[in-house]
Amino acid sequence: MSPAEATLDDARETEDLTYLEAISSGLREEMRADETVICLGQDIAAFGGAFKVTDGFLEEFGPERVIDAPLAENMILGAATGAAIEGMKPVCEMQFADFIACGFDQLVNVAAKMHYRQGIAVPIVVRLPSGGGFSGGPFHSQNPEAWFLQSPGLKVVAPATAADAKGLLASAIRDPNPVCFLEHKGLYRHVRGEVPAGEHLVPIGEARIAREGGEMTVIAYGSTVQLALEAAEQLDEEIEVLDLRTLAPLDADAIVASVERTGKVLVAHEATRSCGVGAEVAALIGERCFELLDAPVRRLTAPDVPIPFSPPLEQAVLPQLEQMKEACRELIAY
Amino acid sequence: MSSSPTREVLEVAMPQMGVSVAEGTIVEWLKRPGDWVESDEVLCVVTTDKVDVEIPSPGAGRLERILVEPGVTVAVGTLLAEIDDNARPGEPHREEETAPEPDAADAIGAEAAPDRSRFYSPVVRRIAEEHGVDLERVEGSGVGGRIRKTDLLGYIEDGGDAPVERPLHTESPYVPEPQQGRREPMSPMRQAIARHMVESRRTSAHCTTVTEVDLGAVVGARAGLRDEMAARGVALTYLAFVAEATVAALRRHPTLNSSIEGDEIVHHDDVNLGIAVALEAGLIVPVIERAQRLSLEGLAAAIEDLAARGRAGELSPDEVSGGTFTITNPGRFGSVLATPIINQPEVAILDLEAVVKRPVVVEGRGDDGSGDAIAIRPMTNLCMSWDHRALDGIEAARFLGEIKESLEAWGARR
Amino acid sequence: MKLETASPARNGSRERPDRKLGDSGDHLTREDRALLLRYMLLMRLSEERGLTLYKQGKVPGSFYDGCGQEAISVGASFVLGPRDRMCILHRDLGAHFVRGVTPERYLANYMGRSGGVTGGKDGNMHFGDPGLGCVGMVSMLPDMAPVAAGMALAFKLRSEPRVAMTFFGEGSTANGQWHEAMNFAGVHKLPVVYILENNRFAYSTPTELEYAVDPVERASGYGFPGVSVDGNDVEAVFEAAREAADRARAGEGPTLIECHTMRMHGHGAHDDMSYVPPELFDEWGSRDPIELHRARLAADHGFAGEELDEIRADCERVVAEAVERALESEMPDPAIACEGVFAERLEPLGDGEAPWSRWRERDAAPERSAA
Repeated sequence: MSPAEATLDDARETEDLTYLEAISSGLREEMRADETVICLGQDIAAFGGAFKVTDGFLEEFGPERVIDAPLAENMILGAATGAAIEGMKPVCEMQFADFIACGFDQLVNVAAKMHYRQGIAVPIVVRLPSGGGFSGGPFHSQNPEAWFLQSPGLKVVAPATAADAKGLLASAIRDPNPVCFLEHKGLYRHVRGEVPAGEHLVPIGEARIAREGGEMTVIAYGSTVQLALEAAEQLDEEIEVLDLRTLAPLDADAIVASVERTGKVLVAHEATRSCGVGAEVAALIGERCFELLDAPVRRLTAPDVPIPFSPPLEQAVLPQLEQMKEACRELIAY
Repeated sequence: MSSSPTREVLEVAMPQMGVSVAEGTIVEWLKRPGDWVESDEVLCVVTTDKVDVEIPSPGAGRLERILVEPGVTVAVGTLLAEIDDNARPGEPHREEETAPEPDAADAIGAEAAPDRSRFYSPVVRRIAEEHGVDLERVEGSGVGGRIRKTDLLGYIEDGGDAPVERPLHTESPYVPEPQQGRREPMSPMRQAIARHMVESRRTSAHCTTVTEVDLGAVVGARAGLRDEMAARGVALTYLAFVAEATVAALRRHPTLNSSIEGDEIVHHDDVNLGIAVALEAGLIVPVIERAQRLSLEGLAAAIEDLAARGRAGELSPDEVSGGTFTITNPGRFGSVLATPIINQPEVAILDLEAVVKRPVVVEGRGDDGSGDAIAIRPMTNLCMSWDHRALDGIEAARFLGEIKESLEAWGARR
Repeated sequence: MKLETASPARNGSRERPDRKLGDSGDHLTREDRALLLRYMLLMRLSEERGLTLYKQGKVPGSFYDGCGQEAISVGASFVLGPRDRMCILHRDLGAHFVRGVTPERYLANYMGRSGGVTGGKDGNMHFGDPGLGCVGMVSMLPDMAPVAAGMALAFKLRSEPRVAMTFFGEGSTANGQWHEAMNFAGVHKLPVVYILENNRFAYSTPTELEYAVDPVERASGYGFPGVSVDGNDVEAVFEAAREAADRARAGEGPTLIECHTMRMHGHGAHDDMSYVPPELFDEWGSRDPIELHRARLAADHGFAGEELDEIRADCERVVAEAVERALESEMPDPAIACEGVFAERLEPLGDGEAPWSRWRERDAAPERSAA
């Protein structure tokens, strides 16, 4: 039941969808194709979800497959684990990624370790609306992906485009392991793209070259992919942008290949700095690409602070376009 | 990312010294970072097309940092140094004021950029090793003059160093004695000459045609004109006579006064006559612009002036460029034959060798050779190397023939 | 036998169960009753041997047992059919045996051998054989409560007459996840049977410091019945679990069954229980569940002494052999330490053994999973 290779046939029909619409459409199609796929989360049924991802799902699939859960994240994760053990494919929604902290025990101690310890597969997906930029404050703006990287047994994906959002969600649902799906709230309505209609799978564990270049590489995921592409356009430089797409397991080969081409790397993510995905990527590059490097590996991230509420404070913390451009300029000149 | 202090900074950039100059090389810095400089005080010496130029400071202040090291060639406009013109003499240098912050590690050598031309990153080392490149010969365009990967790749692509040839057998019982000798680094001028000569040979299809000339008439004419010209401050040489005859011949053979551009031969309206001038450790070719307008005396004066200023290093870059034909005259040392190298982008160069008294046959009036006699005549060889791409042997010979005729009949026509 | 809810406990008083020893009616055959004794003996004897091995240094880590509580896990799990599922906790070894795990595999697991149920991946009672429909526990309590609810959710969504069962101690009812699980189960009337083992102590914490009101009272707050039984009476436990399972299969939702008992050994072998008043040991020691059941078999069901002795002797033989075989099992190959983090494919849980005669009468062979 491993996901098939992603194929983007030129002759296939595509739809122009927002990132959010792609997630919704992908989830709906998986639920139509497989009746064991169920949704579990707060306010997802009658209300259609806090961000309307499951809008209309209750009408189509009924209350047994679209379940409004009480305010109990451990219960959501635990029940999902139990149901998954007994043949269902639950897709849990944390209303905000931040609230995974309330369900963390079930996620890392029960779901993540179940197969290693007992050979029992736990095919759950945890959808995590993450990211800041709209004065959400410290508890509605986090990017907690690094927490999951420290828990063996979890797969972690973070799409940056509408097509990848749909494709990775489908692959996550079909994967027999627990998958954390980071959907960046800022991309919901600001990113659109051509999304293949019908079945569309993007393999977990595969990065994507969003833009080719020879001078330097920006390794990014989620919200910073867009930022890097804009910076490259405006600077009009030969900047390669590598969209990781999957954070665990990392596509180490793609990373190494890009470093080989350019020799200069900027890792960019909105999540805070210390021990983030950037730290792991930088360490990996240091280990495997020492003789390919023409400059030290740099990181552009939020600093180690909770995300503040007031707009000027929040803007000072989240990576901005000007910072991205400046970082690229410096690295190219080095 | 640390922020740079907002202070006034004067930029010193590689100037454009001459209309056609595109780059220059730093010869030496006369000031170091931290030094106080006055306005117009000389900061450094740069060389371009073998002419050295001193760069004056654009203002008064403290020299903050030097960005290009001696020996490095950069394009016109490249930033060479920065001067802090808010500093006052006697104030401590910025680096002496504050201890560096431990968190300032974010900027990559942005602030105080030391000389990083010898810092080699891992990938640069590896590529250099793979290709047998001596990194000291590579120019760096990175921060502090660092050799970037792209610099090295460009160097290799342009031909760079020849790959290190591994000997077929690695062990030999014979160990030759080390040769005695002395190493001398080539000066920028020597390197420039070397580059130009090799380039010229690679570009043109060199042929050399030699014509013997009887300078008897010229010798006589010179004797007659020398004193009155000397009274006007002009030294009259045989070279001037040859120059005059050459210029006249060029008017009748425009192909010899042309350049090749792609598939086209570009004929120049003016004759800009280059005169090779020997220097202590090289040569220079100042140009007499519009030589066709000058008389014998004018040519003689121009030749003398350019030679003198050339030897004194007083020529401007514009005076050593733009030539359309070159004459060289190494003859006073006694050589009688040479195969000079064309001064690109010209198509011919004329070498006037030594004037030597020889016994020659002087033709009598008879057609059958009766009346021929042997006489002692001052003879010289005009050796012209020419570009077979632009013309053929017959035209070269004709051209030289006209010069010969003109010189041998000097005085008869006037 | 009618089930009655327990009277409210008062702080500081010793709870007395309302259920008495008695006849469970015709739900149990003679053979069933013998099996109940057998499974309890296997649990008691296996754990005694396990403790010995631990004291001999053959068991890394810690050792936990359910001494004195055998009636609960045996009585409750005996109810389950092949397609029912369990999450089994650390004092419920009897449930593993009822479902088909052998003492040898249990002992090998404690000793970290490759023949153990987890092959060395996890230790002590953190195991469950997925091939027998058992999901093992994690250390965090009561994390299996939401998981059991999740399995029950799957049964309900598919309209299957199947039951999920799990255990927890009275101490873990203090945890938020217990509330979350109970609440969710009640809201959705999930087919789950929750067995609350009230053994008087959560490690060293006595009940008066664990709750203000006996947790069984809270069940009504979640919308389903809470019943209290004598946890040392295996037939009483069986009867309560049977009714609860039938309710669940009929779609009537969850039941919380509080089984009153006493933890006769320490929290783990490293605990000397010095905080327990000796009177408590005496009182509960006189009500040993195995002795109580054996006495009932002799008095009420015509079991001869020799027959009962033979059952015990057979169990001793089985356990002795199990110890030998477990000791022969090899330590795991270090190379597998990093294997198995991720699943390559989905495999449904297998069905457990179902020794209760009802299941044997229903089908010639135990049901096999259709999937």
